[in-house]
Amino acid sequence: MGGERLIDDPLSVITLVPLAMGLILMILPRVLPNSSAERLIQVSRNISMGVALAIATITTMLFLGQLGSIDWTNITQGGYVLQNEAVDLIPAIGVTWKVGADALSFPMIWLTAILIPISMLVEWDAKRAHLFFPLLLIMEGALLGVFVALDLFVFYVFWELTLIPMFLLILLWGGEDRRYAAMKFFIYTFTASVFMLIGILVMYFHTEAIAGLGSLSGHHFDLIAMTAQENLIPNEGLRHFVWLLLLIGFATKMPSVPVHTWLPDAHVQAPTAGSMLLAGVMLKMGAYGFLRISVTVFPESTIEFVPLLIFLGMVSLVYGAWVCMGQTNLKRMVAYSSVSHMGLIFLGIATMQPLGIAGALFMMFAHGIISPLLFAVAGAFKHHYHTLEIGSMRGIAHHSPWLAAHMMLGWMASLGLPLLAGFVAEIAILIAFWMTYGWLVLLPALTLIVTAAYYLNSMQRTIFESNDSEHGILPDTLHGEDPSDLTWHENAGMLTLAAMTVLFGIMPFIFWDMMSDWSSGFVIDTMIEAMQAQEWSP
Amino acid sequence: MSSIISDMDPATAQLILPELLMLGGIIAMILVPNFGDATMRIPLTKIRIPFLIGGTRFATTNNPKLPNQIATTTLALAFMTSLLFLSEEGDVGNLLHVDEFSRMFALVFSAALLLASLATTVRLPARPKASAPLDTDSTVISDAKVNALIDNRRQVDFHILLLTTGLGMSLMAMATNLFMLFVCLELASLSSYILVAFHKENDVGGEAGTKYFIVGSVVSAIGIYGMSLLYLWNGNLDMTDLAASWDAMEGMDPLATIGVGLMLVAFGFKVGAAPFHLAVPDAYAGASSPVAGVLATASKAMGFVALIRLLLVVTMPSEGQAFWFLALSIIAVVTMTWGNLAALTSDNPKRVLAYSSVAHAGYMLAALAATGSGLADSDTSALIVTAVVFHLVVLVLFKLGAFLILSMLEAEGRGHRMEDLHGMGRRDPVIAASMFVFMLSLAGVPPLSGFLSKLLMINGIVNVSAGSGSASASTALSWAQGVDPVFWLAAAIVLNSALSLFYYLRIVLVMFFESPATEKPLKRAPSLRMAIIACAVLTLLFGIGPLSNSLLDMVGSAVDSFMGS
Repeated sequence: MGGERLIDDPLSVITLVPLAMGLILMILPRVLPNSSAERLIQVSRNISMGVALAIATITTMLFLGQLGSIDWTNITQGGYVLQNEAVDLIPAIGVTWKVGADALSFPMIWLTAILIPISMLVEWDAKRAHLFFPLLLIMEGALLGVFVALDLFVFYVFWELTLIPMFLLILLWGGEDRRYAAMKFFIYTFTASVFMLIGILVMYFHTEAIAGLGSLSGHHFDLIAMTAQENLIPNEGLRHFVWLLLLIGFATKMPSVPVHTWLPDAHVQAPTAGSMLLAGVMLKMGAYGFLRISVTVFPESTIEFVPLLIFLGMVSLVYGAWVCMGQTNLKRMVAYSSVSHMGLIFLGIATMQPLGIAGALFMMFAHGIISPLLFAVAGAFKHHYHTLEIGSMRGIAHHSPWLAAHMMLGWMASLGLPLLAGFVAEIAILIAFWMTYGWLVLLPALTLIVTAAYYLNSMQRTIFESNDSEHGILPDTLHGEDPSDLTWHENAGMLTLAAMTVLFGIMPFIFWDMMSDWSSGFVIDTMIEAMQAQEWSP
Repeated sequence: MSSIISDMDPATAQLILPELLMLGGIIAMILVPNFGDATMRIPLTKIRIPFLIGGTRFATTNNPKLPNQIATTTLALAFMTSLLFLSEEGDVGNLLHVDEFSRMFALVFSAALLLASLATTVRLPARPKASAPLDTDSTVISDAKVNALIDNRRQVDFHILLLTTGLGMSLMAMATNLFMLFVCLELASLSSYILVAFHKENDVGGEAGTKYFIVGSVVSAIGIYGMSLLYLWNGNLDMTDLAASWDAMEGMDPLATIGVGLMLVAFGFKVGAAPFHLAVPDAYAGASSPVAGVLATASKAMGFVALIRLLLVVTMPSEGQAFWFLALSIIAVVTMTWGNLAALTSDNPKRVLAYSSVAHAGYMLAALAATGSGLADSDTSALIVTAVVFHLVVLVLFKLGAFLILSMLEAEGRGHRMEDLHGMGRRDPVIAASMFVFMLSLAGVPPLSGFLSKLLMINGIVNVSAGSGSASASTALSWAQGVDPVFWLAAAIVLNSALSLFYYLRIVLVMFFESPATEKPLKRAPSLRMAIIACAVLTLLFGIGPLSNSLLDMVGSAVDSFMGS
């Protein structure tokens, strides 16, 4: 792991430290005597921010090669870097603490580590801060756990663990209808992951015990060994069945039509930081799990179900965009545009080409910085204008120039303006799609154009146009008062996101290289063989 | 028993030390609260010597909290000595055999009863300062005072019954003779009938006790009838001897088969298997929560010890399918499905937990059934028994823990309707979070111990059916037709667990989403609160990490000591 022994096992550290710190910050004030408890509550926000920044620093250093000196573009296919020495959790049934990263997971790890301090910054003035910020730390640990775990048991535990902080964020800091939204969110995603668990268990029962693992049960949860095991589930019908079970879990999280209905409700009710993490990272868990488990372990079934993927992707893309146009609520609109973009990820994977898969990976990352920007904008909008209805105001550029600027940039990036991060992903996916499926590409391409036109029109009216050159039209909820512009912390958070959007639009190669390297290795090593076995052609 | 007493030497005494402690506790419970300053005059002199029994009782012995303290101490000591002498092994007389297996269950029983005894301080509060009502008191105050006095009077009765239950259960786990087994089982059962009926202050308590007693005694009679048939067939009831005769038996002897079948009815009632489970929800709902918790954990474990001994020691054929395989499989599937469906429609949290306990009995029966399929080798059988015993051990934590929480509600006169759980999250976040853990563990969500035990049971069944089901079958349907029927037991457990999620989550949802009838926090009850939190933490620790592994090792070696003998 390189010359520096500063941190032996950075991935375990960045996963476990925020979990532990979050728990300590929540529990300690209840145990301590009163005076020191008060002080702890006051500084709890700063401590949380410090931990989050430290983790962001560690991951950035990992990326730049200053820690561990890793060459991210040259990871052997199927191999992982930064692996730890597996720690036995329940050796009798083959559960170990085993972490690692590759080009599929690392952009997500970095994204999570960066987004947490930003979302903390945006909601710097949150109520009940002594609970809010530690909860975000717990969220960070759980999310990172999903991306670093190489043991399906641990993966599943973290997958479920992400539900609890998000559920509490919506329930305790949400809008008027938060109970309904929190319950719907919990029931949808929990039920779906039960299907996923059954799929994982069937996989588990097909593994063969390896040295030191599964002494009692004869099976293990080790993902690397599962991938390496030739023909994990020999029976074709059962394998397809398992693949579909996993898909239910992942597609609900992404979310894909028809199991997407929890998303708009959850987003509208969630606090700003919750929405940012939900859209930025939690949705990506679905795509990540799909690539990491379904596609990697069962490439044959994936090829078999390519038509289903295209169908789900197309429907999500077109339906999401269409419904998005009918929304008057800003957050709901962003939520549906997320559904639409997640459809593109399915399409990218369905191309079965390195370019398409790399595009899907980049889409996961790009959407992970653009949608938090949009939700931060929506949150600030709610905060300063006390409404989310788009039609109720015109010409906000006059009152809140910073807000208007961020909003404009966010929407431009979201609809795929060249030189912004979203464009790279969209164009890569569309080109790959055209190469594989020819003129079928017209449907997604035209949808993107039509929605772009619609957004431009409505943004133009909301932001710039005004009948009265002095004031524009302000919503009734302000009761005639003049709205204020962004606070410093909101602006700082959004500026960071905006800078990243531009940076990764101009220089996508920062992550694109490792992604395309991973994708071509993936297609060559995993997919080609399966394609030939099935004599697959589009 | 005479042989036991005449054989008693220090080594034997050490073997049954936990049971001796319980016996000592029972004697102390009878004597100590009666200690007073009575004196006796030596005739013809003026010297009075203290006589202790009678007279005016001392302040300490007069304290109505004393029985609870005696019971708690005794059970804690029994638990610790069981743990300390876990690996001691040997015969006591010729009816009892102590090994790790029986010790393991002694641990389960004493832990469950210890928790129940802790909860009783809240559920059946002893009030040292209670006074008789005056004529001037209003009816309300007078009733309260009478109740306090009655509670005080009932302390000894209740706790002595707890200890006899524990004694009967622990001895039963050691019995190597069917008759001894049955006598101990009855000692525990009779005590538990009275404990169920102890909840006298409302109408359901007495009714539940009566119902439980009537059904229980009929079923016991059936069991004894079955045992007498076995005696007729073999000439003695020693289990190893019975097993030898069973092995040597040509074909199926009707006398023996019917005998075993009738005994299965008796033990099936103890574990709450369908269709003998019908009294279970009534009994649980009528009993006070700590007692219901004991019935759902210790009493169930007792039934499973009897079943394991009867099925795996006596009637397991050396090869081929056991005659009870099909019957037990069907009973298991019916039990778990019935339990879960009934729990879905139930509106009383205690009934929900009772039906969930029926469903859990179904899961364990399914695992036991798989050992008799004729496909299991000794390793797989050991794995399955380990899973079942492990489940019984951790069940004490999360099933009894849930009942303990209900007993906190009962202390304020609630806990019989789903509405009573409303808004627990707001009233008492720590207790609500513990309930959340218990419910998830009951449903079998990783990484809690309920998942680990369920996974091991499913794993055992799947390993039994491994290799069946043609790998070349191209569709899931043709594979499904080819797979061995045993596999469907595992599938039934998985489907039922998914079904059960709904009612467990329902309890969680009402705790966090509905607004409470009162904002008042729950009773403080520090010892009970600690017990609940300890249960919740252990539910997690026994599910993942080094502690779970050492418990698995412990259970594994206990099962080895049993399977090996």
